[in-house]
Amino acid sequence: MTDPGRAGPRPAPPLPVRTLPRGRAASAAGAAAAAAQMLAPFVLFTAGWALVVGVTRWPEDVLPSPFAVARAFGEVFAKGILVVYAGETIRRIVLAAVTGVAIGIAAGFVMGLHDWIAALLNPPLRFFQSLSGIAWLPLFLIWFGFSDKTIVVAVWYTLVFPVAFNTMLGVRTVPRLYRYAVLTLGGTWRQIVFQVLLPGAIPYIVGGVRLGIAYGWRALIAAEIVVGSGGLGYLIFKAETFHLTARIIAGMTAIGILWYLTDYFLLRPLEEATIERWGLVYR
Amino acid sequence: MRAKISVEQIVHEYFNPSTWQRVRALDGFSLDVPDGEFVCLVGPSGCGKSTLLYLIAGLTRPTGGRILVDGREVVRPGRDRGMVFQEFAILPWRTVEGNIGHGLEIAQTPRRAKEETVRRYVALMGLSGFEHKYPHELSGGMRQRVAVARTLAADPEVVLMDEPFASLDAQTRNVMQEELVRIALHERKTIVFVTHSVDEAIILGDRVVVLTGRPGRVKASLPIEIPRERRRWDVLGAEERFVRYRQEILRMIREEFDSQERAAEAVRA
Ligand SMILES: Nc1ncnc2c1ncn2[C@@H]1O[C@H](COP(=O)(O)OP(=O)(O)OP(=O)(O)O)[C@@H](O)[C@H]1O
Ligand SMILES: [Mg+2]
Repeated sequence: MTDPGRAGPRPAPPLPVRTLPRGRAASAAGAAAAAAQMLAPFVLFTAGWALVVGVTRWPEDVLPSPFAVARAFGEVFAKGILVVYAGETIRRIVLAAVTGVAIGIAAGFVMGLHDWIAALLNPPLRFFQSLSGIAWLPLFLIWFGFSDKTIVVAVWYTLVFPVAFNTMLGVRTVPRLYRYAVLTLGGTWRQIVFQVLLPGAIPYIVGGVRLGIAYGWRALIAAEIVVGSGGLGYLIFKAETFHLTARIIAGMTAIGILWYLTDYFLLRPLEEATIERWGLVYR
Repeated sequence: MRAKISVEQIVHEYFNPSTWQRVRALDGFSLDVPDGEFVCLVGPSGCGKSTLLYLIAGLTRPTGGRILVDGREVVRPGRDRGMVFQEFAILPWRTVEGNIGHGLEIAQTPRRAKEETVRRYVALMGLSGFEHKYPHELSGGMRQRVAVARTLAADPEVVLMDEPFASLDAQTRNVMQEELVRIALHERKTIVFVTHSVDEAIILGDRVVVLTGRPGRVKASLPIEIPRERRRWDVLGAEERFVRYRQEILRMIREEFDSQERAAEAVRA
């Protein structure tokens, strides 16, 4: 078969520096190729897994086959469980991410602007960062009970640190000269923050946000397992009590897919866009 | 007449944290600049010229002495004192237009007037066609012109310029010099202009101030008495006063250079 990207009467356009708007057919073919490339390793992995199950013939509650997992996936989906539980998880991550990112950026700015605050906060922050959010769950449970509050606080805990540290770093790397220039144009402190420090720090902030949400996602699943009031973490944990091994793996797959989609369609494009828009300018 | 800028007995020291020592950049520096004067500063590298401009701009506070602008002590930067930095300092995330219009944006100039001014400076600085480009897409000389345009577009009464034409080719530089003189005369701006080029200082300045080596003090102050209309590159070579000013200033700079060399040798010995 010929490469679909090259099919068509017109010759291939010269190599674009960035992705320029192309013909619909070409872009559809490009998307298909990208999807194939993305899926291929998973297909390989699944084939290997099916082979192992086929050879060992382990019982289904120890290691179910991919088909059993697919069946379980279809079942939780058809019953509406999956949608409800995934909805819970998404609601929590959005809530925690939006507020946590705001807190992290604000904290990072304060530390980036005032050296003495950064110096004061740095050692304790490093200390607390070494304790993962999950290690705090017992305490959070005592303080906030088996509730959403516990989950959101645990996610904040993991998410705020990378966002704050990266923001601080970003603010610090903005050359002092840019601030001076805006001051001699009559700029106020507000204008310095929003027209110099924020745009100057954006590549760092976005990197921190992507990292923070990745950590926060893992903490969220762990917290859902412990708190046990809905969400994908709870779904896989509850399945264990009934030895529904296929359902556990189906739930894990859902967690992985959701994260992959979020990262692929939201966080990575955001990072790439900032690098393209802002990153280039750092020379 | 009261001076627009009075620099009174300025001492400025930098602290060097790695050697735990103070570096005295300026030592009892005094200078009066009348309203509307175009004064050029020349002096050996490191004698404190940039430092002086930072102090007048209010970006740094002096260790000793004071600076008055319009009779009021300078305590902070303000839009009445624009500055063109030696390192340009235009914002990389703003386009050429965005940078040139930045001061007007801060001053909340109505959009029409702002666009009109930006357009005028884009044309004046030979940046037409590059309005929407980002600084990393420009040559060094173009970036420097954006920096000059940004400061002039904000229309400050005092313009502090730190080697603003250093990275331009001779041709462009001549055009820029003529434009600057025209703007300075027409809009009656007070300009403090730092340069390493003695020729440039004589062509532009109502007065040329020669600084000593570090720590900087005023070594000499020469009013340039060549009429403005005779300060064109094509006729200047024949101007006998130009040749004399030039020799005089070069001799003084040479003197400072030599004495610094001797001082350095004495330290080594
Ligand atoms: N931020 C700083 N920290 C420490 N020392 C400094 C600082 N800025 C300048 N200096 C020192 O002060 C002296 C004067 O510096 P300045 O930049 O004012 O010189 P200049 O006359 O502008 O030199 P050039 O012609 O090379 O631009 C120099 O010896 C320099 O090393
Ligand atoms: Mg300098």
